[in-house]
Amino acid sequence: MDKINSGDTAWLLASAALVMLMTPALGFFYGGLVRRKNVLATIMHSFFILCLISVQWVLWGYSLAFGPDINGIIGGLDWVALRGVGQEPGPYGATVPHEAYMVFQMMFAVITPALITGAFAERKRFKAFVVFTLLWATLVYDPVAHWVWGGGWLGKLGALDFAGGTVVHITSGVSALVAALVLGRRVGFGREPMDPHDATMTVLGASLLWFGWFGFNAGSAITSGGLAANAFVVTNTAAAMAALTWMTVSWLHKGAPSVLGAAAGAVAGLVAITPASGYVDVSASILIGLGAGTFCYLGIQVTKRLRVDDALDVFGVHGVGGAWGALATGVFATVAVNSGAADGLVYGNPAQLGIQAIAVLASITYSAVMTFVILKVINLFVGLRVGEHEEVLGLDASQHRETAYV
Amino acid sequence: MEFLAFASFAVLVVGWIVAPSHSMPAATTELDKAA
Repeated sequence: MDKINSGDTAWLLASAALVMLMTPALGFFYGGLVRRKNVLATIMHSFFILCLISVQWVLWGYSLAFGPDINGIIGGLDWVALRGVGQEPGPYGATVPHEAYMVFQMMFAVITPALITGAFAERKRFKAFVVFTLLWATLVYDPVAHWVWGGGWLGKLGALDFAGGTVVHITSGVSALVAALVLGRRVGFGREPMDPHDATMTVLGASLLWFGWFGFNAGSAITSGGLAANAFVVTNTAAAMAALTWMTVSWLHKGAPSVLGAAAGAVAGLVAITPASGYVDVSASILIGLGAGTFCYLGIQVTKRLRVDDALDVFGVHGVGGAWGALATGVFATVAVNSGAADGLVYGNPAQLGIQAIAVLASITYSAVMTFVILKVINLFVGLRVGEHEEVLGLDASQHRETAYV
Repeated sequence: MEFLAFASFAVLVVGWIVAPSHSMPAATTELDKAA
């Protein structure tokens, strides 16, 4: 009989609360980046998803993602409405209540679709957003979470993803790119200024994301010991290094050290270290942060050059950063940090990089195809975009009949 | 690995040294000239 450890349980529940804070923080991060006529609608995306997925997860999401495995593809319905998920330890944590693990994972399921909202900001119909989120969580997030963490085929293959590089960031980043392409550009894109209306709000949001990310990564140890401490340290280091790198690259490229660039760089570093945080040491986290600040910045330049209206650069930060982090895990992972995992390329195991590449390609392909299908189906029945007049008026007034600033 | 970590940080320090010191937008500079 497994025995519940109070330290592990306290850390896991505290981590769940930290990750919960990340979704409203994301609302502020995105909210500051949009024009003032859309700030409430943008914050509402994150706040609404916190509510919607909290209910979806306990009713069927957790069971699909973590329930007893069916052919490596999806979890069974055994745990629908949390039947059998109680105060005793479950299969994913020997020293914590199954319910604690479930609610920790719930917060991951919440923030992932919220990340996508930055791509379709300022133009998506609220009803379409609601339907999209529910379908995407069920048909994309839950299966991919099962593949990697729930006993599915990628986990069995040996793919390493400590806290969600593939499950959270590649799925959301790629889906964001697809959403931006399917919805099309905002009215006036490229012809009129669409500058952030409140950079201070964005920096505050990024700071709160950074704070919550300690729960995201260090909490994924599911214990309160040395592995959690390592994840905490490398998370902070990679975020700092990526912020410094992004700021420096943008300074050299555009002539000024951008405050928003530093904030975006920190988030890119947090994204990239996410899959690696339980497998790499601090030197590797510096290199991962350096790569995140460079590659994500370049990714955004490319999408802008291609005139893709990924409004808040979700693909550049989460898609590129998630892929870099997942591959870097295959390069820098070491059993000296996590004896239960595997070495990476630099420690003599090039096969791990191949496994990571398979995980990256699988998550990119599946999330891109499914997101495209979901959006097309919704467009048939609901209509994805608001009308041009509503878009020009702003989503706060047209979708919510409210105003942020009076 | 440690060497690469130190080297990458050193690259950033060099970047801060060589980065431009004056970054006033052109439009503002023109206004200043006009004033």
